[in-house]
Amino acid sequence: MLMASVLLASAGLLRLPFERDMELEFKEQGFRDWSPGLSTRDQLTQAAFVGALGGFRSLVASVYHLKAHNSFVKKEWGDVERYRAVTASLQPKFWSYWDMAVWDMAWNAYGHYRGEAEEYGNDFRGWHAESIIMPRYLEKGITFAKRGLEWLPEDYRLMKVIADIYDQKMGNPEKAAEWYLKASQKPQAPSHVYRAYAHQLTLCAGREEQAYRVTEDLYRNSGNVTLTLLRDMERLEEDMARRAAHDRSYDQLKDAAFAEASGYLEMAAFAMHLLEIRKDVPAAISVYTKVADNRRAPSFYRRKLAFLMAEDPQKAAEAYTILKDLAVSYPGALRREDMARLAELESRLGIPE
Amino acid sequence: MDSEAYSTELSRQHKAFSPSRVWAIAGNTFTQLVRMKVFYFLLIFSALIIGANLLFLSFTFEQELKILKDVSFGAMSLFASIFAIVGTALLIPKDMEDRTLYTILTKPVPRFEYLLGKLMGILLLIGVSILLMSLLFFTVLYIRQHGILAEKIASLPRHASETDIESFRESIFSRGLQPELLLGVIAVFLKAAVAAGVALFVSTFASSTLFTIIVSLVVYFIGHAQSLALDYYFTQGELHSAGQRFLAGLVGVVFPNFQLFNVTDGLTAGEVIPASLMARLVGLTAFYLTIYSLVSWMVFAKKEL
Amino acid sequence: MADSSTPAVQIEGLTKVFRLPLRKEKVVAIDNLSLQVGAGEVYGLIGPNGSGKSTTMKVLLGLISPNAGRASIFGLDSGDTASRGSVGFLPENPYFYKYLTGSETLAFYGKLCGLSRKEIRSRSDELLEMVDLTGARNRRLGGYSKGMLQRIGLAQALVGDPRLVVLDEPTAGVDPSGSRKIRDLVLELKRRGITVILSSHLLEQVQEVCDEVGIIFNGRLVREGKLNDLVAIEDQTEIVLQNATPQLLDGIAGLVEREDCAQLLSCGHPRTTLERLFLQEINEESKTGGQDT
Ligand SMILES: Nc1ncnc2c1ncn2[C@@H]1O[C@H](COP(=O)(O)OP(=O)(O)OP(=O)(O)O)[C@@H](O)[C@H]1O
Ligand SMILES: [Mg+2]
Repeated sequence: MLMASVLLASAGLLRLPFERDMELEFKEQGFRDWSPGLSTRDQLTQAAFVGALGGFRSLVASVYHLKAHNSFVKKEWGDVERYRAVTASLQPKFWSYWDMAVWDMAWNAYGHYRGEAEEYGNDFRGWHAESIIMPRYLEKGITFAKRGLEWLPEDYRLMKVIADIYDQKMGNPEKAAEWYLKASQKPQAPSHVYRAYAHQLTLCAGREEQAYRVTEDLYRNSGNVTLTLLRDMERLEEDMARRAAHDRSYDQLKDAAFAEASGYLEMAAFAMHLLEIRKDVPAAISVYTKVADNRRAPSFYRRKLAFLMAEDPQKAAEAYTILKDLAVSYPGALRREDMARLAELESRLGIPE
Repeated sequence: MDSEAYSTELSRQHKAFSPSRVWAIAGNTFTQLVRMKVFYFLLIFSALIIGANLLFLSFTFEQELKILKDVSFGAMSLFASIFAIVGTALLIPKDMEDRTLYTILTKPVPRFEYLLGKLMGILLLIGVSILLMSLLFFTVLYIRQHGILAEKIASLPRHASETDIESFRESIFSRGLQPELLLGVIAVFLKAAVAAGVALFVSTFASSTLFTIIVSLVVYFIGHAQSLALDYYFTQGELHSAGQRFLAGLVGVVFPNFQLFNVTDGLTAGEVIPASLMARLVGLTAFYLTIYSLVSWMVFAKKEL
Repeated sequence: MADSSTPAVQIEGLTKVFRLPLRKEKVVAIDNLSLQVGAGEVYGLIGPNGSGKSTTMKVLLGLISPNAGRASIFGLDSGDTASRGSVGFLPENPYFYKYLTGSETLAFYGKLCGLSRKEIRSRSDELLEMVDLTGARNRRLGGYSKGMLQRIGLAQALVGDPRLVVLDEPTAGVDPSGSRKIRDLVLELKRRGITVILSSHLLEQVQEVCDEVGIIFNGRLVREGKLNDLVAIEDQTEIVLQNATPQLLDGIAGLVEREDCAQLLSCGHPRTTLERLFLQEINEESKTGGQDT
């Protein structure tokens, strides 16, 4: 018996460094060894805690996942939050549990209280839901995602979900752009994350120049011009042209437009001046024709030109040809509301549908 | 005297160690457990994973597949560990209580062979049950991943391209039936094997089944928590007094580190286990089993029956 | 292999003391016991309950180790596993794996004895026939009666073709006809030259089958010897008559009376002499001391 104890103890001493080594290597491999945080410990029942320690962590996590779902169905948001926290911290390397937690807070609970806020309007209850509870759930969502990022620092999805909250729920394009950019820099991130970053930039007041740089780069080099990108491009270029048209004199603009090295943007600024300051539509049309003929100019100039021409009965037929061509060759160049104007033009010209 | 009765006997020489005797005891142990109808547990196991699957159907496929894997591995580990501890605790003390042991040890069977045979029998049982469980598990997983793919394809717009479908297949199947899952199955077996070693040792000095089960379970749970103790021990902070560190070290020395075998938690979350770590895990298991067999024998060899 | 002059069993100065756990008390189960059984003999161990018969057998079979003295089987020490190569043992109230059938049980023990598959088959057929369990060979032991268990136990003891068979109360709980069958089996073993040690409370049976007897009381061997020598009393002669008329008995009594030195001690139906001896020894021992029980 004594001998056995001695053998057992010396074997223990022998294996201890070896096991420690393995544990460290597991950590290095990303199997960061898990120990229940204080908050998790408080939230687990005793049985679940023993189970979690006894090597049944993921099993316990699954059970809490189910509990969270049940609470979600019953709209008991406090419980949802608690169970989500347990599930995620038991299996912190599984992004989807964090994602669910964020989603339940910033979308589901938030949406529930928004309904309440609408229902109670200007009551205290409505006010409370709107200005106290709703922002709080958005913060909770962001906190969950950030905790998840401590475990999964390379996961673009958790970054993107933070950006989504800033974008869709908080209307904070600065923050949204910041997180979309972070997310887009992760190797796994698909290209639309970077596009989302570009889009948020266009919404940031005072960063127009940066936004234009990024957007134009995407427009010219990504090989995939989405509708959002096209509209952003249009908005940015129109704003630039309008600013120039208002800030600078006719001569300055004209000189710039016809300078040797000028591009279509200077021309567009001049055209804008003619259109909005001088209100000289025929002159604007002739300058816009030049812009539209520039091969680098996006399709929306052609659209603008066509609708300007459509107002002039003599040029209506030509405008119609341009619009038809746009509809066929440049998907996305025409907007939904353009269809009514096109139909109106058709009837004016007596063209059967 | 009957000379022919002697002639057969003369031909047999006693061997100090005989694998066939060990095998006879192992086979007997296995048969005994099988005839105790332990394999009915497979019904419970299937009900569990199919039930879990139905419960969690409403989630994303990623979660659904993960939970299916978590529940299956969890149940597998639970059953394997229960078999290891309860099976060992049930059979060895029972042999002593029923004095069946007398009839075995009065054959030319060294006591070491008896212990080894019992251990082998339990390992055989654990191995076969894990094999059957993983077959069930893999079948359900296979069916589900194809089911999910079919649902996905059905929900796609008609003009979905072949590459879209291919990428869906890729992302579903990469979370489904993958060869890495086999590593998890092996780890579950290794852990249960160490638990069986612990129970074997406990049962050599305990005389009752209940005592063996309780002590082994305590060791099992402390063995899982001991990596916390080890962190404590290896953290050379002023936070911990010498006494505390000694205690933590003692826990590490006395109890096996079961947490090391818990690779399925990481596996189902998508991490990769390097082959070298797996090989060391196998080596560690062999070391544990050797040590536990040796100490069990040391106690058992002197035991008054 | 030991030559024929090596005794089958040699026990010298054996002492076994059990310490009760957590208490200071000790139980002296065997006290300096020596005995020897020659090859081919049938040796009977008798003694009251708790006298140390089973303990002696367990020491002999290496199940427990003695505090002093030694025991050996055919010259091999009992602590040595090899000594069990030529032994078969039937414990008291044997209990086997009840999930196995009769023939599976024999196959299992056969494998432990190192028999080949073929040997096992022929051996178990033979033994099952011998203990009259051929009909029940495919039934699980869980459904066996006590007598059947005792018989399968006997078959199990014989499966390895032993040269020494140790039977601890082989007839306990067995009905008279079964008991007689077991007696016949022991006689059969004796005929084959197999050494047998048995303990029993049925003295009549011991007297029928044993060449030699040892009487144990409180762990000590109080009397030992050839059965004939033990029960024979030198200065007494027993005449056993059949169908004797009262007249004849009176005549004999008259004849005895006429002799000066002779004396008629008793007249009646004969008693089992071993039993008489047994009771006498026990009574004497109890009077002279060693009262432990
Ligand atoms: N394991 C043990 N621990 C303590 N005492 C024991 C143990 N085994 C036997 N004894 C004691 O040793 C003595 C001898 O017991 P043993 O079983 O040898 O008697 P026995 O002659 O076989 O009796 P019976 O005729 O009742 O079978 C008894 O007093 C018993 O109480
Ligand atoms: Mg006895």
